[in-house]
Amino acid sequence: MNQLLSQGTPKALLVLEDGTAFEGRSAGAEGEAFGEVVFNTSLSGYQEVVSDPSYAGQIVAFTYPQIGNYGVCKADMQAEHLALKGVVVRDMCRTPSNWRSEGSLPELLAAEGVVAIEGVDTRALTLRVRESGTMRAAISTTDLDREHLLARVRESPSISERNYVADVSCAEPYQVAGATEPSAFARSDEPRATHRVVTLDCGEKRGILAGLAAAGLDVTVVPWDTTAEQVLAYEPEGVFLSNGPGDPRVVPQPAELAGELLGKVPLFGICLGHQMICQAAGATIEKLPYGHHGGNQPVMNLLSGMVEITAQNHNYGLDFASLGPIVPELSGGYAEHEADLRAWSQRHVAPVVANERFGRIRLTHVNLNDGTPEGIQFLDLPAFSVQYHPEASPGPHDSAYLFEAFRRLVEGDPDYLAIDVREGRRF
Amino acid sequence: MPKREDLHKILVIGSGPIVIGQACEFDYSGTQACESLKALGYEVVLVNSNPATIMTDPEVADRTYVEPITPEFVERVIERERPDALLPNMGGQTGLNCAIALDEAGVLERYGVEVIGCNIDSIRLGEDRKLFAKAMEEIGLSICRSGFAYSLADAEAIVNGDDEHEGLGFPVIIRPSFTLGGAGGGIAYDEDELRSIVSQGLDLSANSEVLVEESIQGWKEIEMEVMRDAAGNGIVICSIENLDPMGVHTGDSITVAPAQTLSDVELQRLRDYSLAILEKVGVATGGSNVQFAVNPDDGRIIVVEMNPRVSRSSALASKATGFPIAKVAARLAVGLTLDEVENDITRATPACFEPSIDYCVVKVPRFAFEKFKGTSEVLSTRMKAVGEVMAIGRTFEESFNKAMRSLEQDMSLLGADGTLSDDESEFRRNVSVPTPKRILYVIEALRRGWKVDDIYELTGIDRWYLNRLLDIVRVERWLAARRLSDISAVEMRAVKQMGFSDAQIAHFCGCSELEVRAWRRAQGVVPSVKTVDTCAGEFPARTSYHYKCYDEGPSERRDCDRPRAMILSAGPNRIGQGIEFDYCCVHAARALHAKGYETVMVNCNPETVSTDYDTSDRLYFEPLTFEDVLDICDIEQPAGVVCSLGGQTPINLAARLKEAGVPIMGTQPEAIDLAEDRDRFSSLLDELGIAYPTSDVASTYEQAIEVAQRVGYPLLVRPSYVLGGRGMAIVYDQAHLKAYMDEATRVSSDHPIYLDSFLDSAVELDVDALADGKDCYVGAVLEQIEEAGIHSGDSACCMPPYSLSDSIVAQLRETTHKLARAVDIVGALNVQYAVHNGLVYVIELNPRASRTLPFSSKSSGVPLASLAARIMAGERIADLEASGELPPEDRDFGYFACKEAVLPFDRFPGSKMALGPEMRSTGEVMGIARTFPAAYAKTQLAISYGLPLDPSAGKVFISVRDRDKRAITAVARELTLMGYRLCGTTGTAKALEAAGIPCESVRRTSEMRPNIGTMISGGRVCLIVNIPGDPSTREDFYQLRDLAVRYRITNVTTLSGAQAMVEAIRTARDSDMEVFALQDL
Repeated sequence: MNQLLSQGTPKALLVLEDGTAFEGRSAGAEGEAFGEVVFNTSLSGYQEVVSDPSYAGQIVAFTYPQIGNYGVCKADMQAEHLALKGVVVRDMCRTPSNWRSEGSLPELLAAEGVVAIEGVDTRALTLRVRESGTMRAAISTTDLDREHLLARVRESPSISERNYVADVSCAEPYQVAGATEPSAFARSDEPRATHRVVTLDCGEKRGILAGLAAAGLDVTVVPWDTTAEQVLAYEPEGVFLSNGPGDPRVVPQPAELAGELLGKVPLFGICLGHQMICQAAGATIEKLPYGHHGGNQPVMNLLSGMVEITAQNHNYGLDFASLGPIVPELSGGYAEHEADLRAWSQRHVAPVVANERFGRIRLTHVNLNDGTPEGIQFLDLPAFSVQYHPEASPGPHDSAYLFEAFRRLVEGDPDYLAIDVREGRRF
Repeated sequence: MPKREDLHKILVIGSGPIVIGQACEFDYSGTQACESLKALGYEVVLVNSNPATIMTDPEVADRTYVEPITPEFVERVIERERPDALLPNMGGQTGLNCAIALDEAGVLERYGVEVIGCNIDSIRLGEDRKLFAKAMEEIGLSICRSGFAYSLADAEAIVNGDDEHEGLGFPVIIRPSFTLGGAGGGIAYDEDELRSIVSQGLDLSANSEVLVEESIQGWKEIEMEVMRDAAGNGIVICSIENLDPMGVHTGDSITVAPAQTLSDVELQRLRDYSLAILEKVGVATGGSNVQFAVNPDDGRIIVVEMNPRVSRSSALASKATGFPIAKVAARLAVGLTLDEVENDITRATPACFEPSIDYCVVKVPRFAFEKFKGTSEVLSTRMKAVGEVMAIGRTFEESFNKAMRSLEQDMSLLGADGTLSDDESEFRRNVSVPTPKRILYVIEALRRGWKVDDIYELTGIDRWYLNRLLDIVRVERWLAARRLSDISAVEMRAVKQMGFSDAQIAHFCGCSELEVRAWRRAQGVVPSVKTVDTCAGEFPARTSYHYKCYDEGPSERRDCDRPRAMILSAGPNRIGQGIEFDYCCVHAARALHAKGYETVMVNCNPETVSTDYDTSDRLYFEPLTFEDVLDICDIEQPAGVVCSLGGQTPINLAARLKEAGVPIMGTQPEAIDLAEDRDRFSSLLDELGIAYPTSDVASTYEQAIEVAQRVGYPLLVRPSYVLGGRGMAIVYDQAHLKAYMDEATRVSSDHPIYLDSFLDSAVELDVDALADGKDCYVGAVLEQIEEAGIHSGDSACCMPPYSLSDSIVAQLRETTHKLARAVDIVGALNVQYAVHNGLVYVIELNPRASRTLPFSSKSSGVPLASLAARIMAGERIADLEASGELPPEDRDFGYFACKEAVLPFDRFPGSKMALGPEMRSTGEVMGIARTFPAAYAKTQLAISYGLPLDPSAGKVFISVRDRDKRAITAVARELTLMGYRLCGTTGTAKALEAAGIPCESVRRTSEMRPNIGTMISGGRVCLIVNIPGDPSTREDFYQLRDLAVRYRITNVTTLSGAQAMVEAIRTARDSDMEVFALQDL
């Protein structure tokens, strides 16, 4: 809302670690928030973004200027509570309009204690983050002194100093029943049997649970620090490792768990879960300059040659070469790693590496914007994972087939990934 | 997949003349398509009858045929060129329809031409509502309940129900099949309306079929612009939400991108549906547009329609996102996939992604109802807008205000200046009924304190938009409570962030626009430059596609060592100012770039080539107002600003810009004023000894009577400073004059009225020329086929002149040279002449590029617009002549090129349809042939009426005024010799019989039936020659014209037109018309 119309709203200040400051007005809870600032380029889906537990520890700036237009509703929440630190918008809508709306975004933020600032030139902020990389920042409605707040930002802990997974994971296991009616990808229209899976909740989005359930998987959600023994005690037909917040390098338990489960039970991981599986295979996880946060990232499925427009939210990613040396005979005769993985998408080759611990691993998905890895598949044991978000929420549904792929993996289908994206578009 | 190597030569079909519903957006898409196919190494053959297009420039395609887009002519082109493939989905509905006709005629099979980009079956499925309905049902999507009617009885049964079906009930929407821009459609609320809309729709539909559909008025209307490649990858480029809910054609709606009021859950559902629809319809590759209706109360979604081609909306989406849909579509058509095409803007990421934008785009249509008096201004499912503007801002509020001032229709104060009707009894109706000004009444209702909910109930405009408009109104109130000096820098910036212009602020604060400008600049409140980059800042942009805003971040303008040349284009298309001026500006941009300038384009029309980020080095998508242009001058510090190629819009800015210290390139404001100030210009003509029609000015009716007595009737009357003949009329007597004066005071209250002696039956000519301050070069002399009195924009014309002696033409050239020097023109100029009894009169001099410049360039083979720009940049005509770039003025052409205007009367039932001094055509076609009649015949074939070549198809009706009765006998005799049977009104029939020509006498439309009216509706007339005389026959004349439009019968209203028509018919019947490539001329 324009500042002439929101007189009486407290002032707010956003300061970045590099000294850049933006004055604005409070658009959520009053107070202060310190966190890592990232920008999200989704045009819609602000509610799913702010309720995504993966943003714990972060301040999210929306590149689309007018946020909150269609209000908020319970059904779109990705978690019970908001885990992010703060929200930055150009213009916050206080008079939303949509038949599903149950309240306004600023009301939700205030009720959840999330500090937010509006009136910020979010494009300038985005360009700054693009140039300088992800950095620490603070929003305050109480400390409006730039220099003072900047000093405090520079003293604030980095995101890597805290285990945010522990903050957002569930405390106790719980169950979600799988659907028996066939999904759009099902091979027949008959009702089908469900399968039992366990998901490790590192901050799991509800959209993922819904995706698993729609694929006919009965899900037992367990806390992030559940041991392999405990997981296997559920006698799962498959295990899923969820998305989650923070620096994956500082929370080793889930990766250790993945290492113990690989080969014992079919595994599927998304985002943090993918990184855990990669770490289990001894791979290096790197921090990206400013991450991928949005709903328009093109990813090529190297197996099908098709491109999926994907939802993404990650600041860390796999160094594919660190998984092992290329196996030329399984990689179209090419023997060398490529720094830019788009070389493989241009060749239409899905390269395979020889991993010391788990045998052959294939690169299945590549980001066409920057040539980073987006998905892998283990060839000698039943496991696959993707860096991006097939559940979307928010974002396009192109990759929803991956939940069905997991079901097929659980069922022992060797070609579990061979699903046409377009089959999902049945109504 | 790499590009196809089995194709070598590709035929592209353009969209023909600019008509309502199909405008220059197809020049934009077609030009992109031709250029990108050429860049891939294909030989491109183009057919387009519209000369005012960039795509028909000889260097765009390899072989350019400015020929009628009819199956017959395109077949001739195919026969000559033998293309391997046909790309039909760049030329709008015209292109698709032509492809279908070629397929049905077996032409494609005969010559082995493959259709690429889409296939014939998918075109049919997309366009045929019955097939489409079935296909949607098969993938589980809902469409409107509806039925197809082939007769009025069918339609009534669908609405009222019959034994087997429950009726839809009123209101219903009627959509004829296979027409463009929803022509012939409408909403019927009762039996009477049903009858009238259905019968008209059946007439207009190519297969006499209309869809009668349940009304979903009031639902949200959402469009998705979608692309697909041969590998099956699908992406959504942009969602567009209509501010006006269902019931108003999207071309007539204010639209917003991206959609504002849908949650991600709803939007992604629409995305899934859109991609599934493309798949189902079988769109092979390329761009499509899918329209949905969304119930605002429960989210129910209905598929409205899909267009398997680029469209007005795809042009808008391209400009709104920076994603060049047509360019990419052309590449996909030859086998490339989305991941293989680079994103032009980032040059680092692929085109296979979905643009993210970090600004709000608002499009507002521009209407021309003032040109079509008598027709209803109510908007419905049949498009009536003649143009549109787009504005980019950080918020809807900012973009909306920018868009409203971009319209150049005195709407920038949003109705706060008392321009709205003060009829209180009508106020509620004005708020609820969609018309061009409804949005202003909605805002006024908010000003009056109406509740958002109440307005929502009346209008169906989503509350979100109403609340944003309310915010604008609240800022108006805030301003009204202050003086300028009370406003702090921070507050001023906040006001500017709402999109308020300096003029708006001045209005509410009671000061002048310049005072606001000075105050805010003194406080440091100046705009910053942002970039349209397809990715919301995620990746660096390599292009300079900009907009201004008042966010505080650093300017994204790149520094530049080269001198900047700024080109002001023409703003929204309107009647009299459209694609022709954009054409000139595009040429200027290219020419000045080649001369080493950094070119800076300013325009706000999303349909154009000038607003392609590739056309200039820098593009500012901004309103063409003094404030916005001057702000950009402050930012870019141009070495010169080109004001004389974009029509009247930039010409009107030139003087103020110069006063503000901006260097103007080419003709200076002083010269412009000399040409436009009638008194000064008349004195100049007197000095030079050049004749002009006697004229005088009058500010009151009494003065006008006095002038009329002195000068004598008939008189051509008009307000000062006009474009496109707005407010012009020919008056024959005092009663006429009084009626005109009563009207004219409303048209222009500050300016006096000009009264010129009207040279009856003179030949009018248009001369397009270049001048450098010393020398002048006449590029083309165009002879108008209609007599003087018909606006030159509406008259057919011929280059070179076909009826004038060489000495007269030489005299015209000489006079033009003299004038150009005397006025001190540097660049382009246009002079209008009348030749009356062997004497040459100057009607007016336009100190700028004219509407005919593209036609003159194309027909003469000399790129006059480019050369005008080069001359403005300092080149000399003498050097250009020496280098041969300017061929001798008096050379022999060896061919004739005709131009014919295309009129939109079928869109405006009830309006007067006679041609006159007020321009009303929307576009033009060109025909080239060895002889004048053949060239003229081609123009007639290129516009949709066609030529009545078959005498058995009906009689020729002739009715002429007394003084033409002798001259018409030759025309009548010729027709009789060709086997046509004649009929005419009593007087004309008698005159013809007296000359020994058989002619049946029929009654006038105003007389007892059966009469000529019933003959026409009965299909027994194939051609109408109807030349009106005294005012008493005018009513008959209008009725005939109505009937002619409705039954698509060629109607000639001037004697010279009739002569040309008959010669054209004979030529078309006797000879097989040859097709010409421009490259061969």
